[in-house]
Amino acid sequence: MSVTDTVGPTAGPPRTINAGGQSAPPPPPRRSRGLNVGQRRKLRTGLLFISPWIIGVLIFIIYPVVYSIALSFTRYSGMEAPTWVGIQNYVTAFTDPMVGKAASNTIFYAIIAVPLGLLIALALAIAMNQNVREVAWYRTIFYAPSLIPAFAMSFIFIVFLNPQFGVFNQVLNLFGGANVNLLGDPTGVKIAIILMAQLGAGNAALIFLAGLRNIPKTIYEAARVDGASPLRQFFAITFPLLSPVLLFNLITGISGSLQVFTEAFIVTNGTGDPDAGALFYMMYLYKNAFGFAELGYASALAVILFLVGLALALLVYWLSRRFVNYDVEAG
Amino acid sequence: MISRRSFLAGAGAAGAAVGLGACASSPAAGPNVVSYWGLGAADVDKDNQVIDAFKKTDAGKNAEIYVDQVPSSGVADMSQIITAVRGGTAPDVWWMDRFNGVQNASIGLLEPIDPLIEKYEDVSPEEFKSQWIQFAIDELTYDGTLYGLPSTTDARGLLYNEDVLKDAGVDLGLFDWTKHVITWDELGEACEKIVKIDKKGNYERFGFAPWLSEGWPYTWGFGLDAQAYDNKTSTVTLDSPEWESVYKLYADWAEMYPYASVDAFFATYQPPNAPPSQTAMFSGRLGVDTTGPWQISANEKYAPKLPLKYTYLPVAKEGDPTYTWSGGQCLVIPKGANITKTLWEFMKFYAGYGGQSIVVPQFGNLPTNIKAIQEKKYNPKAEIFRKMLPNSTSRPPLPVGSAMWDTLTRTKSSVALGSSTAKQAVESNQQLIAPKMELFPGYKMPDTYGKPSPIDSK
Repeated sequence: MSVTDTVGPTAGPPRTINAGGQSAPPPPPRRSRGLNVGQRRKLRTGLLFISPWIIGVLIFIIYPVVYSIALSFTRYSGMEAPTWVGIQNYVTAFTDPMVGKAASNTIFYAIIAVPLGLLIALALAIAMNQNVREVAWYRTIFYAPSLIPAFAMSFIFIVFLNPQFGVFNQVLNLFGGANVNLLGDPTGVKIAIILMAQLGAGNAALIFLAGLRNIPKTIYEAARVDGASPLRQFFAITFPLLSPVLLFNLITGISGSLQVFTEAFIVTNGTGDPDAGALFYMMYLYKNAFGFAELGYASALAVILFLVGLALALLVYWLSRRFVNYDVEAG
Repeated sequence: MISRRSFLAGAGAAGAAVGLGACASSPAAGPNVVSYWGLGAADVDKDNQVIDAFKKTDAGKNAEIYVDQVPSSGVADMSQIITAVRGGTAPDVWWMDRFNGVQNASIGLLEPIDPLIEKYEDVSPEEFKSQWIQFAIDELTYDGTLYGLPSTTDARGLLYNEDVLKDAGVDLGLFDWTKHVITWDELGEACEKIVKIDKKGNYERFGFAPWLSEGWPYTWGFGLDAQAYDNKTSTVTLDSPEWESVYKLYADWAEMYPYASVDAFFATYQPPNAPPSQTAMFSGRLGVDTTGPWQISANEKYAPKLPLKYTYLPVAKEGDPTYTWSGGQCLVIPKGANITKTLWEFMKFYAGYGGQSIVVPQFGNLPTNIKAIQEKKYNPKAEIFRKMLPNSTSRPPLPVGSAMWDTLTRTKSSVALGSSTAKQAVESNQQLIAPKMELFPGYKMPDTYGKPSPIDSK
């Protein structure tokens, strides 16, 4: 009798061990190319099952990305045949003052919204992970705002921030200040949109919650026996073991913040004003594509955004080697 | 229990039904079939009135006209129409903001009209076009070819609430357009009297600010002789001293009435996306505003008892000529349309005397059809705007019109906020738009652009 023991994903081909515990002679090396009939059938079935995804990715992601890269080297209005202009659109992008303005607005948003979003999501996840009887209610309540579509949330915020009747100014009035219109100030409107985004923290919180519940309770018990305080437990156990989840939420957060659009489009009526304070990169890209009929230039802006997003993701991955701990997954 | 085969068959049938259902709304093309992207859901009754009237004519008796309402996220947002044209689902005729005419023609989105005039009309294109006011034709002319038929138009003036002015002790005679054209100094003095500020420093009642409502850079630019484009040299001239004076106007008023305070006032009494009934003017909080004749129907509907009246835009000094500018709508044929005689007749009827006589009075706007203007087919309360028409003009018909508008508007808020000076604003405008216009070397606007559009008395 023999059993097959797979050591790990990088352990190479399975070893065969006989009942006496001695290794049997290794099988003849498999041919590097060509699959047997059974493997081919399994491959075909597997591909068939994921074919909707493959087709979808090819049509809706790969083709538009490749087409967009090609368009970025052309002058194209969306109607007539594209005209090759070489790297002109990229030169224009790096000299267009509005690209600089839109990029700085987006960076402002990302620098505040991403860390703030992670903190709020983590706090929500910890609250949702409490061992109390009503926890299911709390989870629902904390997650509910994430279900509100961005456009509906934008309208709610317009009322919330109304200088005369909005809750925000009512609170300010308690301290005797004059009414302010946050949406009428170039910095205020960005802050309003950052705050608006935090109501969607429930999605990231759910991922944190899954990570929290994946941490073995025995580690906490051992820590308690050793006299570790709750704060020490958080920083010595929870935070390191949540780091893979944190990495995931950080990358998706950065990606989302580079693409902020809907809220700014609605609260500024599509203008990005006052003084282009809410003109985020995606809004400027959209304006160029569909307002100014410069799809070639808009494609170049999209390619630049894609490369910046990719570079940031790689940077985060590189940095993550210093702080991400995969012990829970590996264990 | 349902078998696997039955389930698959049922699912397939349901999918096919959904797919066929989705295709069912597209009318089959035919010589008498016209698909039309109309005025919008709120005004579909007006479209239907015109269609009914057209069907009673000889040209329209066999016509089948299908009206679609396609929501738009802004007058300059072409995403829906470009997508429809590229997807082969474009309408045959489209009700469009006339300002986009030249830009859309320049990108190949529209079919030229001149060949249709030559094919279906017994008169020359020039004679045919003379049925409409000249500036509206100019706004649809790209490289000497017409790309649509003008429908409605408008003009800009000041709207004021007599009750607010009387309460503030302002001489109403200053605002009576039949006797006097108000000057900027007189308007400034009146506004000082109107303003009321509460203990916390909030405006409770406000007079006027030039950046509000229709106070666009173009609005004051026409009064200060600021030209956006030099036809002789084919260059953008957005950094001229005249444009700087437009932005200086914003800066001067913002010094007296800080942008943030005015903005808080407006966001309070007329927040973004508020219903048309909720305005600072209707609630008696605002004395004077820049607007146009389209406001008449809202005034009649939501504030019929308020003494709201119009006057000319303010001039620099007594005796200066009045000024304004006109926008409006038109009917155009997107690329790929099913061009038939029925389509041409429908378009001609709608944009002609028949259609304008039905639609314009209901909108509170003005007609572009000369006969409809002469026969006063508009709301009598719009008479002051009618008087402005011969000396009015459109925004410059340029292929970069949207980008120019966007830039001018953005720098307006920069200057009003104090984040840039008038000089910086005009330099920024020039820097952004001149390179875009260089892609159209030697471009010329119609020779008649900016000149008076006479309307003979009938």
